[in-house]
Amino acid sequence: MDLEYWELLTDEALEEEEEIVYRDIWVVAEVEDGVLTPVGLEMLGKARELAAALGAYVHAVLLGEGLKHLAPELIHYGADSVYLADDPRLAEYHLETYAKVLSDLFQEQKPEIILFGATDLGQELAPRLAQRLGTGLICDCLDLSIDETERVLSARHPVYDGEYFHVSTFLGTKPQIATVRPGAFRLPFADEYRYGEVEEIAVNLDGIEPKVRVLGVSADEAHPQMPLSKARVIVAGGRGVGDAEGFALVEELAKALGGQVAGSRGALAEGWIEEECLVGLDGITVKPDLYIACGISGDVHHYFAMQEARFVVAIHKNPDAPIFKIADMGIVGHPKEVIPPLLAALSP
Amino acid sequence: MQVIVPIKQILDPAGFTVHRRLERVFVNREDYIINSNDKNALEEALRLKDTYGAEVIVLSLGEPRVDDALREALAMGADQAFLLTDETLAKVDTATAALILGKAVEKIGDYDLILTGERALDTGAGQIGPRLAEYLSLPQVLEVRQVTSLDNGELRVKRNWKGGYAEVEVSLPALLSIAPQANEPRYPHGAGIMNAYREWKVTTWGLADLRLTEEELSPLIRLQREAFPPERTLGELITGTPAEAAGELMQVFRELEIRN
Repeated sequence: MDLEYWELLTDEALEEEEEIVYRDIWVVAEVEDGVLTPVGLEMLGKARELAAALGAYVHAVLLGEGLKHLAPELIHYGADSVYLADDPRLAEYHLETYAKVLSDLFQEQKPEIILFGATDLGQELAPRLAQRLGTGLICDCLDLSIDETERVLSARHPVYDGEYFHVSTFLGTKPQIATVRPGAFRLPFADEYRYGEVEEIAVNLDGIEPKVRVLGVSADEAHPQMPLSKARVIVAGGRGVGDAEGFALVEELAKALGGQVAGSRGALAEGWIEEECLVGLDGITVKPDLYIACGISGDVHHYFAMQEARFVVAIHKNPDAPIFKIADMGIVGHPKEVIPPLLAALSP
Repeated sequence: MQVIVPIKQILDPAGFTVHRRLERVFVNREDYIINSNDKNALEEALRLKDTYGAEVIVLSLGEPRVDDALREALAMGADQAFLLTDETLAKVDTATAALILGKAVEKIGDYDLILTGERALDTGAGQIGPRLAEYLSLPQVLEVRQVTSLDNGELRVKRNWKGGYAEVEVSLPALLSIAPQANEPRYPHGAGIMNAYREWKVTTWGLADLRLTEEELSPLIRLQREAFPPERTLGELITGTPAEAAGELMQVFRELEIRN
């Protein structure tokens, strides 16, 4: 007999077991100065890859006011549809309002995976939302992968300031949320012939008030020297530059490249640098795109503090200096002889 | 005024070496320290104690050895310390830790402010602060670099924001996560360290005290494996004239997009 007849007979309403189906990959995009920030687009590229493995769709989410014209761009970069929350109360970011809109949306749509950029906004919104939705979150991911059979996401993220990585995975709760480091994924190709849907999200902010009042936003005063740990280009000198004259060449090279000056313990001992320029385990750890070590023999203390540099150039007169074991490009020669022609080549 | 500071004890990075080629972490010295960023949070709380006479309560969860971290916090100037420990707590993930801390904060009851570090060095996550704030339904301000003023329950702070900073105001009770550059944590002085072990108490709470069951503590995330950056080895050795070297370097600069 069917359920309706049974209910008639017994005055009982039999509830059907509802299995919640989580699906699709949702990417929360961000806007700055009226433009989509790259991290959202980078995540869309990766989301397409993951979606292919899962047989899922990719949806972009955009919150703000008057942002509809940005939806096509999200589609070109890989979104199948864009969920847009357009409301004057969302024109400025506030945790309470954004978290409410997103949590309502995700509770209704039941994403399988949600990606946020690991930005100021993402780092505050994602954990709050994960807690609200009772689900797991992996932060600051450098890579994402899918176990297709189990439909489980794994993510590689740095620990101990990037000394090594953990690859962590989710234990079953959905949605699986991750914050992605900007630049971890390449900007995908924008296909201007892609088309998709734009859905307007209903915004219900009854009783939701921002709890943090912003009094003002400022840029930091331009420091004569930006913190070494954030510098993109570093030219460092050690005892092997010979003397203060030699170290002056290091400073000139840094200036010519728009980079920062640093030094090894030898340079500190010689008085050529102050402590805040010391690259070493007992000094600063640096992660520049380019690290030029002039006259630095390269002991372990120094190595561990600069091993994360993207490209290392070593200039030293002694071909047996340990630094040559780890340099991407090693130049055998005295810095006082090698740097001047370089300065000449660099001058306009 | 009561300020609660959750702190985490982590493995001291100075005691281990990451060997990239062998893809292993060699622990030469198993030392444990208070997560340095949590010390910034504790320092900020102690400054509120210095200025406003606030009472500073520290808590931490984990194995019994975490007691040492709490003693160090007491020696730095904290007034009360709570150790949340239980035999059944093996490795907790961040969501579980937040729940345990949340229950403990509720048990402590009365508080005006919760200060956490921005992130723990050993996981790099930065989830505890916001998760705790959500659990306790508190407003949150993250990446705080300076507490500017406290007036009648209104807190004004400066926080890192989009490469610069923002001045914001929030009403207590609230949760703040403190940026590493906010302050230089003070050192405990000798007498403090002795008293911390001899005279002062660390209250211990187990799962039963927190009214938590094992089921509530099932982790949501697990560590699958460790991964390592590629080993650094010598790329190219240039032995020609300085002029030739300069040419090679100009090419490198172009490829790295540092110069055209």
